[in-house]
Amino acid sequence: MLLYALLTGLIFGLYFALVGLGMNLVFGVMRIVNLAHGDMLMLGAFTAFWLMRVAAVSPVITVIGTFVLFFVIGLPVYYALVPRLQRSREPEMLSLILFFGLSQVIEAIVSLLFGNNERSIPSRTLGGGPVSIFDQTIPFPWIYAACVSVVIFAGVYLYLYHTGFGRQTRAIMAQREEAVTIGIDVHRVSAVAFGLGTALAAVAGVFAPFMLGSFTPSIGVPIDLVSFAVVVIGSLGNPVGTILGGAIYGVCLMLMRTYFSTLADLLPNLVLIGVLLVRPTGLLGRTVRHA
Amino acid sequence: MADGARADTRTTPPPPLLRVTGIVKRFGGFTALDGIDLTVRAGEIVGLIGPNGSGKTTLINVVSGLLSANAGEISLDGRSLTGLPAHRRSAAGIGRTFQIPKPFASLSVRQNLEVAARDGVDIDAVLADVELDRHAARPVSDLNSVSQKLLDLARALVTRPTLLLVDELACGLNPVELARVAERLRALAAAGIGLVVVEHLMSFIDSITDRVVVMNAGREIFGGRLRDAVQDRDVVEVFLGAPEPVAA
Amino acid sequence: MRKGFVRETALVLLPLVVVLAVMPWLYNNQLLLLNIVVFLVLAQGLNLTYGFSGYLPFGYVGFFGAGAYGFALTLMHTAAPPLLAVLVGGVAALLAGLVLAPLLRLQGAYFGLASLAAAEALRHVIANQDLSEITGGPYGVRLDVPFRPVLTYGLAIGILVLVMGLVAWLRQSRFGLRLRAARDNPVSAATAGIDVVHGRLVVWLASATAAGLIGAVYAWSAPTFFPEAVFDLSFSIFAIVFTLFGGAGTLVGPVIGVVVLYGAYNVIGVSAPKYFQLVYGLLIMALVLFFPAGLASLAVRRRRDG
Repeated sequence: MLLYALLTGLIFGLYFALVGLGMNLVFGVMRIVNLAHGDMLMLGAFTAFWLMRVAAVSPVITVIGTFVLFFVIGLPVYYALVPRLQRSREPEMLSLILFFGLSQVIEAIVSLLFGNNERSIPSRTLGGGPVSIFDQTIPFPWIYAACVSVVIFAGVYLYLYHTGFGRQTRAIMAQREEAVTIGIDVHRVSAVAFGLGTALAAVAGVFAPFMLGSFTPSIGVPIDLVSFAVVVIGSLGNPVGTILGGAIYGVCLMLMRTYFSTLADLLPNLVLIGVLLVRPTGLLGRTVRHA
Repeated sequence: MADGARADTRTTPPPPLLRVTGIVKRFGGFTALDGIDLTVRAGEIVGLIGPNGSGKTTLINVVSGLLSANAGEISLDGRSLTGLPAHRRSAAGIGRTFQIPKPFASLSVRQNLEVAARDGVDIDAVLADVELDRHAARPVSDLNSVSQKLLDLARALVTRPTLLLVDELACGLNPVELARVAERLRALAAAGIGLVVVEHLMSFIDSITDRVVVMNAGREIFGGRLRDAVQDRDVVEVFLGAPEPVAA
Repeated sequence: MRKGFVRETALVLLPLVVVLAVMPWLYNNQLLLLNIVVFLVLAQGLNLTYGFSGYLPFGYVGFFGAGAYGFALTLMHTAAPPLLAVLVGGVAALLAGLVLAPLLRLQGAYFGLASLAAAEALRHVIANQDLSEITGGPYGVRLDVPFRPVLTYGLAIGILVLVMGLVAWLRQSRFGLRLRAARDNPVSAATAGIDVVHGRLVVWLASATAAGLIGAVYAWSAPTFFPEAVFDLSFSIFAIVFTLFGGAGTLVGPVIGVVVLYGAYNVIGVSAPKYFQLVYGLLIMALVLFFPAGLASLAVRRRRDG
């Protein structure tokens, strides 16, 4: 039982890292919290539902198609909202409200168009039967999601560390003001980061029906809290940190589900508060008050 | 008691107002202050100079309580301040200005002083002294950067400090303004306030200080009169080696 | 200083209380009237902490829920009279505020989301199946408490007067000025001798207590509820949006926010409930994008230009 909890915890951890990665990227670059992140994920789940279940498109094409589609959707959303937000006095605080509003709009539109029913996708859609690892039986879609997550981490890593645009992205994460002075087009780089964040959320959404069992238009806010917890446990602006955060979170969640099932819902909240209180600077790399 | 202390000055020097001993401040692996000592007597102006990154502002931050030191002691008038938070040090008599002024943006010019003023301080007189009385009711954002610096100084003064830490006040001021500020600082010292002045502008330092402390890499490398400092081999080497040579 | 306090209370608080007091004779939807006062208190309570210390607690509803459950649990497990139970509700929220005070070390979005997580954690504890015996768990509570609409409405107005009185005092007092300075720039505030942490804590606890008291009154007026109902994130969001809309840090701003937006919400809620969430989301977005400092800031800008 312990082995099963640890193993599935790690698998879910990789997936949760994918869920949080986009939010981390957007926060790291723009210093805003995208509370519509969970709704982008929900839209990704809908896209997967139609492509894979209704139109019987192959999973690989679905993942790639969703990624490209939501990257393209993210760009205009960035230009419509973020530059204006950043001219206000407290963009970081106000981002919570602005994107909460966006999240309500998305949820409302989806509910109006498609209703509030729970939807799911049969796990055979991804192909393959249960897999046995260390004598533990793991559903195939979980393995699939974990593998896709790993491939995406590698891609994001290559982007950030081995492309010019990625290097500029990291420069903005480290020192926004200085990045402007050395001639980096902050808006262009930020827009791409936002598009990427949206695309990552949507791809995580493709696997949401399998990992969460089902989905509805209103899964956004709970997903946001999970993402934020994962991001906070790891460190901001560091993909490796998010993977670590996801792994820790996933293992904790599975252990809780196995041994203290009624308290499992408390977990993201407690982890979030605990980490923030114990090591706010260490894990986040941000200064706290001086007084 | 005070009279007795004053009577002793002829024989032994008065006890220092500020006594800083063995301050160490590390940021991660980087040691910004490496066991520095500093004493300031009442009515004395001490210049704190050194190349960029030598630890001057860090020392000011440690003394004013914005940073806590890893080791060392700080006392004011014989009272230990070690470990006290910034607002308690202000209450104890330490005032400071900032290299880049940090006014309270949503308050008016006068309110910026009201929030800081000790009981009985004549705010309007202080405002008039820094020639901001005409702007008293205006929002701070209307002030230019020089006026903001003066407001910053005024805000430190209304806390009635016995020790004033001045961090790069001269930068950006024209010669007329510089002369006025120098005069004002000398007047404060004459009134018995001890001053520590961090400055890059050597002519300004020369016009107001009794002695200077030259810092490099978190240590004191020279203490004494400025005119002796410029002949000191270590000091010359440090300044010539500095990325931005300082105009003397 | 005194003069400003008297003028603001005379111009804003007094007329508001008079209007609220006579409304029951003009309009017979008691529940809606009480809800208006509840949101006025929540908006002004949030105004205390956001307007004067810059902390935006997304989990503000946690204190409301703590108050409601403080009230409910007192009545369920003791023989205390309801009025005392209302006080217990306030104390419960105050204690929750003390427990969460370390969150004030955080900044910006971290604080906002950590407070949200705290409210969610509290909800999960109360709704926990294993605690059903004590809290009613996921099945909620059904209180046997006398229905006293006039008294609960009066109590709500009383709490509103206290909170608004505090806001008015903060706007005019030296303590309030120091809070605003600390909000603008905590570093220079500390070097100017202001105890930043103490000030933040005071408004935080006052803000928590206000939400707790009104949560208790709310529970009294609607004594059958589920945990989700009193820990509904919408309470936080509404309080934030109403306050921002009118202008944080002012006395009249949150009142305008509640009257205009809560009014609008109710109109939409009645005429086009299907589109409520959509309109509500769009309104929030427009608010942040077009006048993030609130309506009161437009008035100030006009005065300065004129």
